[in-house]
Amino acid sequence: MGARAWSAIVTVLLGLSAVSPVAGRAQSPNMVMGAPDSAKNESSVRLMAGASAVLLGTRASPAINSKSLTEGYLSQPMLMGTAIFPRHSVDLAATLNLEGITLQRGELNAGMNGEGYVDRRHPHTFIHEFVATWKRNAGDDGVVSVTAGKGFVPFGSDDPMSRPLLKYPVNHHLAQILERAVVIGAASYGPVLLEVARFNGDEPESPSDLPNARRLFDSWSGRATARIREKAEIQTSFASVVSPEVAAGGGLNQKKWSASARYESEGLYGFAEYAHTKELETSRDAFAFATMLAEGSVSRHGAMLAARVERTERPEEERLSDPFRTPRPASDLSILGRTRWTLLTVNASRSYDVARSRVAPFVEVGRAKAASIGTLSVFDPKGFYGSDVMWSVSVGLRLGIGMMHHRMGKYGAALPRGAVNMRDMDMSQ
Amino acid sequence: MIRIRLALSSIGLSIFAVAAMAGCRGSESTNPIDPVLPASPSTLIVEGHAAVNDRYTAELWVNGTYAYTTTWGTRTNNSVTARGNAIKIWDVSSPTPALLDSVIVADATTLGDVQVTADGKYLVVATETVPGSIVIFDLQNPAKPVQIARFHNADTDPGVHTAEIQPVNGKLYGFLSIDPRGSIAARLVIVDLTTPSAPTQVFSRVMGTPYVHDVYVRDGILMTALWNDGLAIFDIGGGGKGGTPASPVQLGTLKTVGGKAHNIVWFHDAGTGSKKYAFVGEEGPGSIGSASVGDVHVIDVSDMANPIEVGFFNVAGAGVHNFSADEQRGILYLAYYNGGVRAISTRGDLASCTTAQKSSDGRCDLGKMGHELARGLLDTGGSVYVWGVQFTGGKLYASDMLNGLWRLSAAPAF
Repeated sequence: MGARAWSAIVTVLLGLSAVSPVAGRAQSPNMVMGAPDSAKNESSVRLMAGASAVLLGTRASPAINSKSLTEGYLSQPMLMGTAIFPRHSVDLAATLNLEGITLQRGELNAGMNGEGYVDRRHPHTFIHEFVATWKRNAGDDGVVSVTAGKGFVPFGSDDPMSRPLLKYPVNHHLAQILERAVVIGAASYGPVLLEVARFNGDEPESPSDLPNARRLFDSWSGRATARIREKAEIQTSFASVVSPEVAAGGGLNQKKWSASARYESEGLYGFAEYAHTKELETSRDAFAFATMLAEGSVSRHGAMLAARVERTERPEEERLSDPFRTPRPASDLSILGRTRWTLLTVNASRSYDVARSRVAPFVEVGRAKAASIGTLSVFDPKGFYGSDVMWSVSVGLRLGIGMMHHRMGKYGAALPRGAVNMRDMDMSQ
Repeated sequence: MIRIRLALSSIGLSIFAVAAMAGCRGSESTNPIDPVLPASPSTLIVEGHAAVNDRYTAELWVNGTYAYTTTWGTRTNNSVTARGNAIKIWDVSSPTPALLDSVIVADATTLGDVQVTADGKYLVVATETVPGSIVIFDLQNPAKPVQIARFHNADTDPGVHTAEIQPVNGKLYGFLSIDPRGSIAARLVIVDLTTPSAPTQVFSRVMGTPYVHDVYVRDGILMTALWNDGLAIFDIGGGGKGGTPASPVQLGTLKTVGGKAHNIVWFHDAGTGSKKYAFVGEEGPGSIGSASVGDVHVIDVSDMANPIEVGFFNVAGAGVHNFSADEQRGILYLAYYNGGVRAISTRGDLASCTTAQKSSDGRCDLGKMGHELARGLLDTGGSVYVWGVQFTGGKLYASDMLNGLWRLSAAPAF
């Protein structure tokens, strides 16, 4: 990335600290902001903005082919904004993700795969999220909403970027569907929330890629959520995704299932999920991948300790001359086998106020173990990586200014009642 | 990577019998032109084997007493990782192939197709991924290929998945099936190889959904395997519609059952004179080394404007890859990945069968009709994953991704 681009990003981050409307700050994940003071005039348009990034160094050993690698990144650089139009019951939410500039080679992340990257996390698209939501109360205890734009599909669990650990879980492509052109209808009544959506099945092909117009709304999903006293929730969801990995169409389709439970209260967060993806060609099963994950965090006085344990299956694909990349789309439907990844990740951080921003230094340690599934798999993790156990150590700073989207990927009726979809930057999460 | 091999040099006289009366094995067919088929498939005997463990073996081409095998992907063995950038050169003058040498092709992760021109002078290899290309070698010394050209441009850069080298009206052409990459669609590129050291592109067009995977060229007819779009047939000089390699004219199309059209052979039966059938390979999802799926589809191309799928051949638990034809005896050899090697009879009326031999959609099941003549590499004591086969000089060769190069006996006469 050129010096000019870095300069532009830093300028934007610093600039936001000067214009941020934030006066207060949430201290725990469950403290969701309602309407800010400036919004007491219900007919006036409200604007909120924020920015975040992670300055990160990672050492992975072995990373690949018996080699250890040490790298640095500006990871997850994002600019977020929300505009609320109370008179029309409409709000707009946008998230600009700059990883296409800062993370082109991908971020070392053992076991991760998707969108042509393997053992590195891929950069997300510049327009990470840009949606409009119309929301209306229905009686004393009901809310209905319609959301349209590019964003998160109502399937599975929250975006890893809004969760406590820095490195992505390997199950990202099994447990979330994002960056799609989507229309969502949602309705909540009391503790029960139902969401249904149509979206384009094709995954992004590059950071600047837009949803394929020919694939518009060829896929669908549904999610049912039950909330328990605003602190806990359980969800189950299903998605039928057409040819996600071949954007032109004609690739394998996916049937995806997810179930999860989440608890969040002041200083405490816990989450567990199971997800399963079956790939099919016409009506014939091809491959299946399952994942189980549990994570949690404890926060006190700005300090946080978080941990995650995960077991996820993934396909092994032909690799390019860059061993962290795979052909996309693949030139046929074959894989080299499946591997099961068992990972334990621990993160410790401390959050500080610096001027109008927040800074949270952290250290994160990960252990990943890979094993072939089935005796006939030709992919041998131990031979390929040099060991079947891989360690990573990451240190860095989370940086945040202004407000960020709360529960990124939930819109309208899916948000807790009375909340807008942004909240104060909370670096303890 | 599929290619139909024409084996025009089969041993001896073609030995086949045309049944005067019904002769189908286990069948009730009364079609008088059905061949007399064996009661059960015989075994293709292993005559020789040369192990390759450093890389995954891909395609093969046998030319006289020399054979050339390509390599695929990335293989790690004893913690040593090797890419599929090697051409291995073999002496196949004796039953057990002997490795003579290897040629490393720069900037390649996979070398898929390999073919020697009919005059034996040149070896052409397709390379993946970026920069996709064809590499042309002089075979003045067949044991020491010398690179004389490498052709690539913006159209081929995503990767050349297959390359078919065939003459059209006396001029040599290369037909390159180009991979899709990112938002770049798959396409067919045709290259004039009249001067092999200086190839020139004469045609380029986006084809296939989502791929054009391979082609078959013969008698001025181009047949393309377009994955979910099935089969498309073009006149490029022999179809009477004014087509040329620079300007193909489409004659007909057919969406094969299940799609995933991967490779084609248009069978010219030297014994019966029939040119009625084309065979299309379907490549379904597979796990290399252990699993595969996909049938052989039998297409009646007697009216090229209206090709019709009339039959299929299925092996439970395995999928087909490359083909090789013994046109003298009416046998099609099939590389069947984890299902080893299969030989089927292409003779008789493949569109005519009993109700019990038909699928629910009305196509004839060649397996139930008893057309499977022989099987090989099912009892090697380990797993096989057969990429390609070639029948030539009365011998059958098979390239096995896991184990290297095999020589097998030909299917017995029927």
